[in-house]
Amino acid sequence: MILKQMVKQSLPLLILCGIGGIFTGSILGSMVDIFHRIPGLLVVIPGIIALRGNISTAFGSRLGSAYHLGLINADNMWNDALKQNVLGSLVLSIVVSAAIGLIAYVTTFVFFQQQVNLFFLLGTVLLAGVASGLLLTSFTIGIIYLVFKRGYDPDNITGPALATIGDITTMLCIFASALIMEVIV
Amino acid sequence: MYQWKRIVINGIPLLFVCLLIEVLVGQLLLLKEEALLSQLPLFLIAIPVINGVGGNMGSILGAHLASGLHVGSVKISLKDQIMHETVITSILMGIITYAFLSIGIYLIGLFNGLTMNVTLFSFVTTFLSIGILLIGLVSVVSVVTAFISFKKGIDPDDVVAPVVTTIGDSFGILILFLFIGV
Repeated sequence: MILKQMVKQSLPLLILCGIGGIFTGSILGSMVDIFHRIPGLLVVIPGIIALRGNISTAFGSRLGSAYHLGLINADNMWNDALKQNVLGSLVLSIVVSAAIGLIAYVTTFVFFQQQVNLFFLLGTVLLAGVASGLLLTSFTIGIIYLVFKRGYDPDNITGPALATIGDITTMLCIFASALIMEVIV
Repeated sequence: MYQWKRIVINGIPLLFVCLLIEVLVGQLLLLKEEALLSQLPLFLIAIPVINGVGGNMGSILGAHLASGLHVGSVKISLKDQIMHETVITSILMGIITYAFLSIGIYLIGLFNGLTMNVTLFSFVTTFLSIGILLIGLVSVVSVVTAFISFKKGIDPDDVVAPVVTTIGDSFGILILFLFIGV
């Protein structure tokens, strides 16, 4: 029964997310211009996308367990379990983004002997990290709510859905943040 | 039972290790990008898909195992029946997804003139072989990390998803390089 449900709920989503993955690559392709202008940026892309995905899939996975433990459901969403999870994920986003910005600065300096503007790079990565963190936390809550309402098992949905939405959102956030920072600096 | 500080403290060390691996793999890919682009552009499109599906399948499996361990329906044992069934279902779903997407990618490649001299049959069989190896590895890692973290009193939800997506990204690329020999 659980297995039939798993295939029914996850398989179409897995295929859809695979198709999403093909398109994410093409978004990255269309951002090539800005990478040429900002040398340190390309280095951080895989890291920031992977970490974003990791933080939100872990968040989704915890909410799935919370659901199975009976700590959270459609009628009882805004409770302490959810708030602690949201806060934990947001703090992780900020800490980790700052670290990625620093790592990018150091690696571009060491490997490419290129001095990039630390303020610019750190600003872009932090802004993108916080913006995508806020957006993805909202998406996660939205997805969890829909999943509960439809009576699906969140464990079948949150991982692939958040990883794929996360990739696209994060990439757009990095792009937008770089444009904003270019105006400021 | 959830404390934001614990989520952060559990998360940070693991996320840093994952970050390091992802950055290294990214550099490796950059190094080989030219070769792939000129010889096998079809596989360049395939990389995010191979990695992504592997990671996604692993995170579904991990989320189920974590929920099962929390609720008590899954026991820490390699003979656990529910674990076996979840693993087999995940692997089957992975294979179906890879089969479907490999044909899709080939069609996109055909449309854009990127197939070069790779036939549909050889592309699908290569793609599927890489995929099956990867999801086999991801399944083992998913079960092992879920069991070990739970046993050590760390929430498997915090551990399994980052570990399997990183394994998906790194070994997806390594297995691909092994197969097409660039």
